[in-house]
Amino acid sequence: MPHCQPEQLALAALGEPLPADAAAHLVSCGDCRSEVRSLQRAVDAVDVPEFAASVAPVAPPASVWAGIAAATGVSPAPRSEASVVTAPPPPVAVAPAAPVPDDPPQDPPAGGQVLPFRSRRPRVLMTAAAALVGAVVGAGAVAVLNGSDDAQPLTSVALDQLAEAPASGRAEVVVRGDGSRALEVELDAPALDGEYYEIWLIEPNVVEMVPLGVVRPGAQSFELPTGLDLGQYPIVDVSVEPLDGDPTHSGVSVARGVLES
Amino acid sequence: MTGLLARPAGDLGSVAGVTSDREPTPQGAEDPDDAEIGRRFAAGEEQALALAYERWAGQVHGMAVRAFGPGPDAEDVTQQTFISAWTGRARYRPDQGPLPAWLSGVCRHKIADTWAKRDRMRREAEAAATQAQAAPAGGTTPAVDTAIADRLLVLEELDRLGQPQRGIIELAFFADLTHAQISERTGIPLGTVKSHIRRTLERLRTRLEVDGAALPA
Repeated sequence: MPHCQPEQLALAALGEPLPADAAAHLVSCGDCRSEVRSLQRAVDAVDVPEFAASVAPVAPPASVWAGIAAATGVSPAPRSEASVVTAPPPPVAVAPAAPVPDDPPQDPPAGGQVLPFRSRRPRVLMTAAAALVGAVVGAGAVAVLNGSDDAQPLTSVALDQLAEAPASGRAEVVVRGDGSRALEVELDAPALDGEYYEIWLIEPNVVEMVPLGVVRPGAQSFELPTGLDLGQYPIVDVSVEPLDGDPTHSGVSVARGVLES
Repeated sequence: MTGLLARPAGDLGSVAGVTSDREPTPQGAEDPDDAEIGRRFAAGEEQALALAYERWAGQVHGMAVRAFGPGPDAEDVTQQTFISAWTGRARYRPDQGPLPAWLSGVCRHKIADTWAKRDRMRREAEAAATQAQAAPAGGTTPAVDTAIADRLLVLEELDRLGQPQRGIIELAFFADLTHAQISERTGIPLGTVKSHIRRTLERLRTRLEVDGAALPA
């Protein structure tokens, strides 16, 4: 009986049944079996159910896109999370019981986008909290417009560390005596060499953003443009910018928070 | 056999030359077809990343959730898949296969990387625990280490394959199709499919023999 054809041994390594005569030979031939075994090592290596091509789609939470947008600096956003898949979202995306504002917002945050929080709080809770940002910020924006003459904080937010960079801090919106608004920033971060920190106000869907300026570790104040709607740009973001003359966001964010009242 | 060959819209496994079976949709700026998204993605058009996410994030995340369950690990894999795909888009060749198939390949890398990272952490923890006690004689390598290393090597080598070899072996590996089904699906003659499978498995075997750990006798 002749040995199996090389192609047949490859198919056998993939687990395909062989024609009867070839199968009978394989059973009795140590050389052919050893050849199959050696080819099978690669087959076995990736023969895990996790790699199978067909899979039920699962909608990722909106924070996944927000993280992609932040890391790539890409501005266009998917039209809506709802159009991504038809499958039900994973349990993690289901917001747990969370305080519901008395006066729910008429409009949800644009595109249902939230940010890739890397905070000390559990992610699930952050997702729920982020979903409420639209409502809370709305209230904050109203408070700013009605601000009194004294420089008093209207809204403040913790700037939570993102990624590995040990940067964090606080930001507060204050109304000064002359009626102008400012963002008081306290940044706790290592000094940079050849790069600098910049602070931004960003839309919930991470598309439009307003640069406020260069920020150093420590306390600083940034005047807010008159008429700027903080409800539209609630995200306070600290980025690391290279000295490349490019005025756009580098895509490297190290600390971030969402303004609440 | 046609039942096995029918593909749901958005199926990730595919070969160059095999286009998606999704219903033809009116083409335009708002709703470009899969191939158009692939070309624009490769060209670095930012809108194409958003479109690719819109269309295939559910499939990629489905893979990640299947591997790690819903939660931060799966979300990181999905996020890293799209970030890597975008920053490494120069390696994507639209004429070599559909973007969703390429994305699922990137996702497999991320899953395998996560497994390897966990394995490394587990072994470091075990090594620390072993050091605390008296070191046992004989440094036996657990079989799971070889499997994890082999997996990374095979995925890496798949990336180096051209078409149609890569598409053929991916259909065999990940869509679990027989060579006859692959031939039917791709229109590539049966004999050609068989010889490509043979040569690809030989190539993978060589890669594992050269760079992989020696298997226990």
